[in-house]
Amino acid sequence: MSKRLPRTVRLILKNRLTTMGLSVVFLLVLIALTAPLIVPFPHDTAETHIDNRFLSPSSQHFFGTDELGRDVFSRVLYGSRLSLQVGAIAIGLALTIGVPLGVVAGYSGGMLDEVIMRITDVFLSFPPLLLAMAISTLLGPNLVNAMIAIAIAWWPWYTRLLRSEAISVRERDFVQAARAMGASQGKIVFRHVLPNCLTPIVIQASMDFGSIMLTSAALSFLGLGAQPPTPEWGLMVSTGRTFFLTHWWIVTFPGLAIFIAVLSFNLVGDGLREILDPKMRRKRR
Amino acid sequence: MTAYIIRRLGLALVVMFGVSVLTFLLTVIVPSNPAMRWVGPHAKLEQIEKARIELGLDKPVHIRYFKYVANFLRGDWGVSIRTHQPVLKDITTYFPASLELIIFGMFLGFAVGIPLGIVSAVRDGTMVDHGSRLFSIVGVALPTFWLGMILQLVFFKQLGLFPLAGRVAMMTRFTAPIEHITGLYLFDSLITGNFTAFGSALSHIVLPGITLAAYPLGLSARMTRATMLEVLGEDYIRTARACGLRERKILSMYALRNAIGPVITVGALTFAYSLVGTFLIESVFTWPGLGQYGSRAIISVDYPAIMGVTILIAFTYVVLNLLVDLIQAFLDPRVRLG
Amino acid sequence: MFKKKGRVSWHGVVGLSVLLSVLLACVTIVSAQEPQVGVYVNSSEVVVFWDPSEGFSNEVIVMNNLYETLVRYDSVTGEFTPVLATSYESSADGLTWTFNLRKGVKFHTGGEMDAEAVKFSIDRTIAGEKGAFYIWDPVESIEAKDKYTVVFHLSYPAPLDIAASAAYCAHIFDPDNSDRDWFYEGNDSGTGPYTIESNEGNTLVILKQFDDYWGGWEGKHFDKVVFQWVPEEGTRRLMVESGEADFTQRLAASELEALRGVPGVEIVSVPSFQNLLALFNTAKSTDEPIGNPLVRKALAYALPYDDVIEGVMGGYARQSRGVIPFGLWGNSDQVKQYTFSPATAKVLLEQAGYPDGGFKVVLTYVAGDENERRTAELWKSELTKLGVELEIRGMPWEAQVDLGAAADPNDRQDILLFYWWPDYADPHSFLSAMFETQPILFNFSYYSNPVFDALINAAKEKALSDRQAATQLYVEAQNILMADAAGVAIYDMSSMRAVRTSLKGYVDNPAYTHVVFWYDCYREE
Repeated sequence: MSKRLPRTVRLILKNRLTTMGLSVVFLLVLIALTAPLIVPFPHDTAETHIDNRFLSPSSQHFFGTDELGRDVFSRVLYGSRLSLQVGAIAIGLALTIGVPLGVVAGYSGGMLDEVIMRITDVFLSFPPLLLAMAISTLLGPNLVNAMIAIAIAWWPWYTRLLRSEAISVRERDFVQAARAMGASQGKIVFRHVLPNCLTPIVIQASMDFGSIMLTSAALSFLGLGAQPPTPEWGLMVSTGRTFFLTHWWIVTFPGLAIFIAVLSFNLVGDGLREILDPKMRRKRR
Repeated sequence: MTAYIIRRLGLALVVMFGVSVLTFLLTVIVPSNPAMRWVGPHAKLEQIEKARIELGLDKPVHIRYFKYVANFLRGDWGVSIRTHQPVLKDITTYFPASLELIIFGMFLGFAVGIPLGIVSAVRDGTMVDHGSRLFSIVGVALPTFWLGMILQLVFFKQLGLFPLAGRVAMMTRFTAPIEHITGLYLFDSLITGNFTAFGSALSHIVLPGITLAAYPLGLSARMTRATMLEVLGEDYIRTARACGLRERKILSMYALRNAIGPVITVGALTFAYSLVGTFLIESVFTWPGLGQYGSRAIISVDYPAIMGVTILIAFTYVVLNLLVDLIQAFLDPRVRLG
Repeated sequence: MFKKKGRVSWHGVVGLSVLLSVLLACVTIVSAQEPQVGVYVNSSEVVVFWDPSEGFSNEVIVMNNLYETLVRYDSVTGEFTPVLATSYESSADGLTWTFNLRKGVKFHTGGEMDAEAVKFSIDRTIAGEKGAFYIWDPVESIEAKDKYTVVFHLSYPAPLDIAASAAYCAHIFDPDNSDRDWFYEGNDSGTGPYTIESNEGNTLVILKQFDDYWGGWEGKHFDKVVFQWVPEEGTRRLMVESGEADFTQRLAASELEALRGVPGVEIVSVPSFQNLLALFNTAKSTDEPIGNPLVRKALAYALPYDDVIEGVMGGYARQSRGVIPFGLWGNSDQVKQYTFSPATAKVLLEQAGYPDGGFKVVLTYVAGDENERRTAELWKSELTKLGVELEIRGMPWEAQVDLGAAADPNDRQDILLFYWWPDYADPHSFLSAMFETQPILFNFSYYSNPVFDALINAAKEKALSDRQAATQLYVEAQNILMADAAGVAIYDMSSMRAVRTSLKGYVDNPAYTHVVFWYDCYREE
């Protein structure tokens, strides 16, 4: 990995779309980190100004104000924090469940493998949004539960991925050698199997980041995610919906933010796959 | 081959069993009192208690599960807490509308996506490739609920080209009523020669159809590009090329044929995903389909309806997966051996 | 192969052209006599309870066009108009009520409406114990004296004509066609002017004229009536604006704003008996902020009432006084009204030992109710300034109830937003349902005070005999609630409807909430 890194960076920079995505992602992270300092109306996450409601975009309120007089621009910038958090935490949770199960299934094989994989199949039979919706209703709608719900809907993808990687790694010479030398199972898994699965995990996770942000926005849109007055993008689209034909800006900007964020993460994920995935590269003309 | 089919069928059955258990568990743990909803607002305490027994909620969970499965197989999917109608009846009422939307949207998506993917693969690395890749990634990254609203803003509010919502104009129901054959308005009106209704139904489906098409478009373009690239890199293509076969012939005879399998798989999966996509799209376009029914069910914790819709969607997914696998096994012997 | 194909297509062309011309003819015939269709777009499911003995909710808008009651109550003039009964009288002691029935009234299912049918219908409703059956509580027995005379014997004196005119659970139907499942399949057996033509999943119901209606079809009437559920307010508004629909209700203030000045559309707004309340959890221990009456009062003073009425309701509401809404007897100027005063709230918080706030309260509301959400957000904004954190939780009603009924009061929410409206024009339920000592059903304030209970029950008993004394008791009871700050009513709502001006004959009747009696209506451009 480490030796390949400079080459990877070079490749990323060579791909214009990926570079574009990556810069937007960096920008998003920067905005998220500095939001309280840079937004024009830092209190508008919760503070209402009823006299200022429904102001159209102007030099004072770049994105206008919403039905309770809050500055949409400030709220959209704040929203980046939540979306990034949800993406990162949900993926982290999904990995925590999915990776160990996948490694165990792939490495041990046999009955255990069979059971784990059937459970995975059951979960994979539900489109993730549907399962996340059901679980979110069950746990009670709020942002934390939405993250948990998404993680429960997502882990099987990692289990499946890790299992196939683990199986292929298991058969490789260096693992066979380690086993012959009497290394303990745990050591083999941690020293040899897991590190070799890292690339596909990174590729998959970066691809999923966007989808997860999209799912969480959809949950909030349906009233199964973030709670008001949280400046979550999906929720902002949902609450602005009543007025969108008469006051277009309330819905348009948060939705645009979702779109741009998801798009840039997908571009990065796509680019990483093209560059890191040896299968993809070898097959290119 | 037979052995493979049996094994694959067995697997599907196991998964379906798991799906039913998981769905049931999810709805059982829901901390809510369906009986209260059943009797409506301002109910008296005794009425609620009566409803609890009427709904069988006083029985232990495993008994309720087996009863549910037995009834389910007999076609009795329970009665919706919200609509007071049998769930299966509700689903058959709402399903055709969603089916029509999905067929329309997926057709649209694939008709644009697949050519886009091919062009992208053939012109790999050029600006054309970048452009079409960006386009396909955009399709996947668009929040459908937002896209729907933006389309409404532009094409209804600004341009006045298409209607805001609904399936057919209100008066069309009376001036040119659509005969109910399949429940797919476009199809029914067309084969009965009811062009007034067809026109109305078509203008109503365009915006939700485009909204739904975004995801299949992006996915099919990406998938086609990826598999085409893979196939084009294979040795036999190189051989064919070395032999001086024309590029167009190579594409249509070898590459496309081999790339079509994975694309079919994507198509099948997209269908199940689109069923869930309708949850969002139908709510934006007041489309009277399964999606609106499903999201209402979830929001109002209408557990028999949630179970019905969830199991239906999951089973559709499992069955489509099964079909795809079997078809691929017929086409490609490596699959059934591996 | 080619020949065969050619022949087939030849036949096909002939067949198709014949088919087309027939269809074209059909289309022209239909459009020649385009039916008059009335369209009602509804904010919720059109019908849930198809059984006339179970009616409880919004289905009244459809049911009152399919079924009829003995008499109809005009809540504006206070008079009863004859429907299925041509006249009625009560005995001097108010215990016997005799209704003389209209002759020659046909059910949609064919039979004739008579005294036995009336007795059967009401008996079935009472026995079913569903919906609003309890309006018949005073009835001891019903007697079909002769074919056209029904006598109700009561166990205590009561105004039975009010019950007999109720919007739900007072409908008369055909005893021979009264199977519950049959009703739920979307059938009806009423005597009303319209009957069901089709039903799509309870969201689109189409009615057609009943040819043998006793009122006859002379004059101008609608041929068909459509009831459609359109959840999106913007869409509903646009349907009325474009003339696609004649009537819609429960519009948001912003939508009414958008309709103002639109030609051909009239905004109908009349005060209703519905109000929005914030119920405080009085059962929590006094260590908890909300368990402290001073804190509850502070919360009530921190609510920006005027902002809510302007910003949320667009002025289509007024601030409540007490918990009984304006226009209903029992409402009085003598009841204390909280006003928006952050300074007072601050002082109260200091007295309670929370000078800088520093605590959190949880508020629950029904997810999807935008008015409740915005109200909560405005409240939160003010509370934040006092250092109090308001956590807003939008939940499905079921989950809200479940949290509200948790075993330990300390696990329950602190504030619950709640609508109340009376089943009939009586104030008692406003006080008993939410504040009387009882097992938790709607008493989400968990208020329990024997003095209060005694007051409202004394008032109930005096309701008919001595209205003035009863009112005074209700005033006293409400002032106790206000002093303890068990809850605060925020605003009394007005109905918010949009009606096409071409819809003639429509009269708002608050006794039949949201109902349009389509038989009385016609269209005139």
